[in-house]
Amino acid sequence: MKTKTRHFFYSMGLALLLGSGIPTVQAEETGSYPPKGDPARGARAWADNCTRCHNLREAPELRDDQWITTSFHMRVRAGLTGQETRDIITFMQMSN
Amino acid sequence: MKTLQRHILSSAVAGAFTLTGTAALAAQDDIATLRADIETLKQQVESAAEWKRPNSLIHMAGYADVDYVDPDNGPGSFASGSISPIFHYQYRDLVMVESEFEITTNELGENEFELEYLTVDLFLSDSAVLVMGKFLSPLGQFRQNLHPSWINRAPSAPAGFGHDEAAPNAEVGLQVRGGFPVGSDGIKANYAVYIGNGPALEAAGGEIEMIETPGIGADDDGNKVSGGRFGLLFPAQKLEIGLSYATGQASVRDTAMTPVFYETGRDYEYTGFDFTWRPAPFDLRGEYAKQEVGDLPGSAYAVNGGAWEAWYVQGAYRFGDGKWEVVLRLGEYDTPDDATDNEQTLVGLNYLFASNLIGKIAIERNDNPNAGFQNDDRTLVQLAYGF
Repeated sequence: MKTKTRHFFYSMGLALLLGSGIPTVQAEETGSYPPKGDPARGARAWADNCTRCHNLREAPELRDDQWITTSFHMRVRAGLTGQETRDIITFMQMSN
Repeated sequence: MKTLQRHILSSAVAGAFTLTGTAALAAQDDIATLRADIETLKQQVESAAEWKRPNSLIHMAGYADVDYVDPDNGPGSFASGSISPIFHYQYRDLVMVESEFEITTNELGENEFELEYLTVDLFLSDSAVLVMGKFLSPLGQFRQNLHPSWINRAPSAPAGFGHDEAAPNAEVGLQVRGGFPVGSDGIKANYAVYIGNGPALEAAGGEIEMIETPGIGADDDGNKVSGGRFGLLFPAQKLEIGLSYATGQASVRDTAMTPVFYETGRDYEYTGFDFTWRPAPFDLRGEYAKQEVGDLPGSAYAVNGGAWEAWYVQGAYRFGDGKWEVVLRLGEYDTPDDATDNEQTLVGLNYLFASNLIGKIAIERNDNPNAGFQNDDRTLVQLAYGF
């Protein structure tokens, strides 16, 4: 019973988080995602976050499109915010 | 004479017009050809751009390592190491499928293939990602973020942070994770909360021998485990701290019976703490992990539960234009079985050929603190590449 109660509260927490925004896809032009970020903030976020675990990876190591998948992967892995992710992608693509 | 002059003049004018007309026609042909070339180039550029930025992206990343291990009590061996390809399939900024495999060759020459994780990640909002499937345990830091060989600064995992030891490896379930800013000083929180099938217990000789956490693909005992990690990042201080906790129930699994029998009713709990402090060129990090299972009076397998507990602290210092790195790691692993307890010290030297290509050599000393038990010291050499 105790475990079930805990699971109930966890489920409620998850539901609240889920309610924070249900994503949808608009019929937009190919390549219009993600929205452009701020490259200056991106440089800062790149320096602050990447070295939390590993060495810094330079922009020329990957293509522009690969920086999108890599940054979204790191968003999940490192708990980056969506804005940080967009800023880092913009910074890496502009540095490429 | 006059007539002759007129004829000459007329012929000259006519000839000039003919030549001009021919030149004009040639020029028009050139312009048409150029226009066609430009149109072809435009199509090629558009086609190239489409190839580079479609709505669906596919990317393969990963890491690999090759090793040489020389234990004090046996012959040294080359080891094939492992390759761990990671596949990313992403549709716009809505969803990503992530999957990592680990392929190794064991001491018998047999190839082993494991699914490390396979998740569908739905990007809900700027601060929340829904992750479902088999994922690396979000508890602590080493298992989910630091174990890849090109990231780990030592050629081995800390004592107690390997497979099925004190730190859970993986989980099959559902989690929500993300980050959000806290205040205006750049401080940021990151979090992960999950619910999953939980671990299985292996018992023998009246004792629980092991907590298995490979990410079990079915919850046959009907007992879920839930928990998570909450971390705070202080960018100005280069500091991150994290707390982890999970709770639920775990069952002893008897695979000798058909069908597999689960003895339920035993409590399970995980507590953990981790930190990273990296004032370059120093990097100091550490983690504490404890898995505990409760007693079960009347159990047919093991009445007593137990605790699997480990910690490590690792310091690294870079020198020589950042190409060289010395590493010192201290740690301890304490289990209910005295024979597997371990006090570990590792001293290593790394050379960074590139940011993602690292050569490592380390001496790992393993001591069992309990009388009568001996653990193996060994020398490790590794070349690790992240791609």
